[in-house]
Amino acid sequence: MTEQVAVLSTWQSEFKLRHPSMTYVEQAQEAAAGCMAKVSMCPDDIDAIVYSLAPTAFMGVADADRWAIDHIFGAGKPMLRVHTGGATGGSVVQAAHALVRSGMYRTVMIVGAERISETPDAQKVLNQIFDPFYEKDMPLQTITAVALMANTYMRRHGITQEDVARLVVRQRRNALLNPHAHLKGNITVDDVMASPMIAYPFKLFDICPRSSGGAAMIVGNMDAARQWQTRPAFITGVGAVSDSNWIGDRIVPSAEYDFIDWKLMRVAGRAAFERAGITDPIHQVQVAEVYDAFSIQGLTQLEQLGFCASGTGFLLEGEGAWEMDGGQVAVCPSGGTLCTNPIAVAGLVRAIEAANQVMGTAGGHQVKNVRRSLATAVGGIAQFLTCSVFSHEPYEAH
Amino acid sequence: MNCYVLGLALYPAVQRAAGHRLEEMVYHTAHAALDHAGIHRRELDHVTLGACDELDGRSISSMLLAMPAGAYLVDEIKVTDSAASALCLEVARLKSEEFDIGLVASWCKSSKTDVESVMRLRGEPFYTRPLGMNMTMSDAMLAQAVADQFGVSAAQADERVVKAYARASANPRGLAQAVPTLAEVTASPYEATPLRAMHRAPLSDGAVCMVVASQRWLDRHPQHRPLARIAGVGWAADSYRLDRSRLRDFNSARKAWAQALRMADLPDASSVDVMELETPTVYHEAAYEQVLGLGASTQISPSGGAFAQNPLFCTGLVGAAEAVLQVAGQAGAVQVPGVRRAAAHSCHGYAQQGNVFMIFEGAAHD
Repeated sequence: MTEQVAVLSTWQSEFKLRHPSMTYVEQAQEAAAGCMAKVSMCPDDIDAIVYSLAPTAFMGVADADRWAIDHIFGAGKPMLRVHTGGATGGSVVQAAHALVRSGMYRTVMIVGAERISETPDAQKVLNQIFDPFYEKDMPLQTITAVALMANTYMRRHGITQEDVARLVVRQRRNALLNPHAHLKGNITVDDVMASPMIAYPFKLFDICPRSSGGAAMIVGNMDAARQWQTRPAFITGVGAVSDSNWIGDRIVPSAEYDFIDWKLMRVAGRAAFERAGITDPIHQVQVAEVYDAFSIQGLTQLEQLGFCASGTGFLLEGEGAWEMDGGQVAVCPSGGTLCTNPIAVAGLVRAIEAANQVMGTAGGHQVKNVRRSLATAVGGIAQFLTCSVFSHEPYEAH
Repeated sequence: MNCYVLGLALYPAVQRAAGHRLEEMVYHTAHAALDHAGIHRRELDHVTLGACDELDGRSISSMLLAMPAGAYLVDEIKVTDSAASALCLEVARLKSEEFDIGLVASWCKSSKTDVESVMRLRGEPFYTRPLGMNMTMSDAMLAQAVADQFGVSAAQADERVVKAYARASANPRGLAQAVPTLAEVTASPYEATPLRAMHRAPLSDGAVCMVVASQRWLDRHPQHRPLARIAGVGWAADSYRLDRSRLRDFNSARKAWAQALRMADLPDASSVDVMELETPTVYHEAAYEQVLGLGASTQISPSGGAFAQNPLFCTGLVGAAEAVLQVAGQAGAVQVPGVRRAAAHSCHGYAQQGNVFMIFEGAAHD
């Protein structure tokens, strides 16, 4: 007999380049305490903890989760740290989901913090993710690798840099309504085009910032939901998939899932949608918080999740399909990862935003009448993907 | 939903796996586990990894290691606490009924890692790191506390070393190291008081994989016979502070053990015939014996435990594999007669900050 899994509470900090007034563990503590306080829970109400922490090399403290245990009230509790690179925040939600759904725990707190600006150059750390024998000595890091992907995608589908820039304009505008967002503002396509070129076709404004801050989510079974939350969001679908690291193997005709078009996201989406009973996403899902560290990434995922055909996401952007008001689906009403990327918890923030939309607590960027939302996360070299569905009512697939 | 171990494999114990790079070690071990279970990789619907970036020397080690571990185009997740922690999450994933058959994989090439540098990096930068805290020092602090709290003398510790190596020497899956004499143990140099070099289990290279399946999967595949049922798991974390209470009370060990017993519906340790302990030092072994209430009815680490092989981080899952082999009656030269239930333990972090327990029993699936 499995349990329904409900989101009881969420919390996120203001995200910015640095939080000099706090240590790392204080940031994690702020998130844990803030999340519990929102629903009047105390540490004894938390049965288990899942810690969200991606590469520790950004901050320079190995296993910083262990350092944080006392601060997040974790001493004596079952705790796991999950790390799937950029997908970590999506994976922690799915780990916590398993712990509650299995009936092993009544309540689980997901918590983490990021302090990426402690390292002078995150991309040097991210060069170390590649194979030490064949790839590392090339100028590969996440920006150059994704730029290579973007070039091919844009050429294949006839997408211009201006098409992509329109997404940046929309999401920076959305972020104006989000007090937690790092980058925000009313900018124009010309502003995006005029920002410094980093790795063709990516200009500065096509790339996420390095964000620091903390985030937490508490999930529980139906009994816990009755006790602590009058309007929970239910995690009704989870899906994840892992692919090869080798980009070359993923762009050749024999590749099982084409790397350039993000076909792999179909696998994670299909698993999540089957579990959540979603057969017609564009009519059943009102908000999509897709993990888009780069301007090219979000809509390509949306295409593979079945919201539109391959290669049409950016054309529909120009028609207003992804606007908060009047669009077909509100895509990243929070501004997305493009505006805020605390890597260790970036996927968790996507999940928090998606859950908040269903719970009606998103604040200034709340979308009307949200019954279902989804959140994705992306890790490695677009090889670890997660998709989670949040719904206003429980669903049991049969 | 019951969970079962369907197959397992250990990378051959070796202090330095010079012939294989890490990816190859993991690939061969995962392949062997799948063969042992009699299934093909494409039958897996998920993979759960236990790995440590810092020990692997990479920022996201699973980028290169997930696929060799069988995680190709399937659901995959990674925990970083310990290999045994991965098995705990795996149990939750199966019990959630979202999955049916998966592989748990872990590895460590200790010989390629400056382990003490990694352990120093674990220190928070304000108080612990300036002290130069590392694995040797934190284990020595624990040993001091254990010696005082549980009345373990230096002579008793020395005797435990000889006994541990004697058990390990019989294990066909161990390093087959010579059994030292008591004189050799007492003559080994101090590394940090009261720890002598030989009080510590030597590090080795290794990998371990287990194929696990739900009862639902077994019902659909009656031709497969499981090795063991996973009756219970429990895990807990302790305070980061290495203070008197933290080092003496073994709170997380007690809580994790109680959780595992509760899940297995067992009253106490007397129901367990074998306990495979992860003991970085013999002082750990002395403490766990008392903390867990292990009496004469429970054989402790017949495999030799960490003294048989000690691939840091995945040693606890190696112990779990030994426990599974015990209940399956396949432990070979170290088989204990008539084992109905066997447990395995893992500890991780400075001076056993985290503890994990897994209880296995003979598979009665029909």
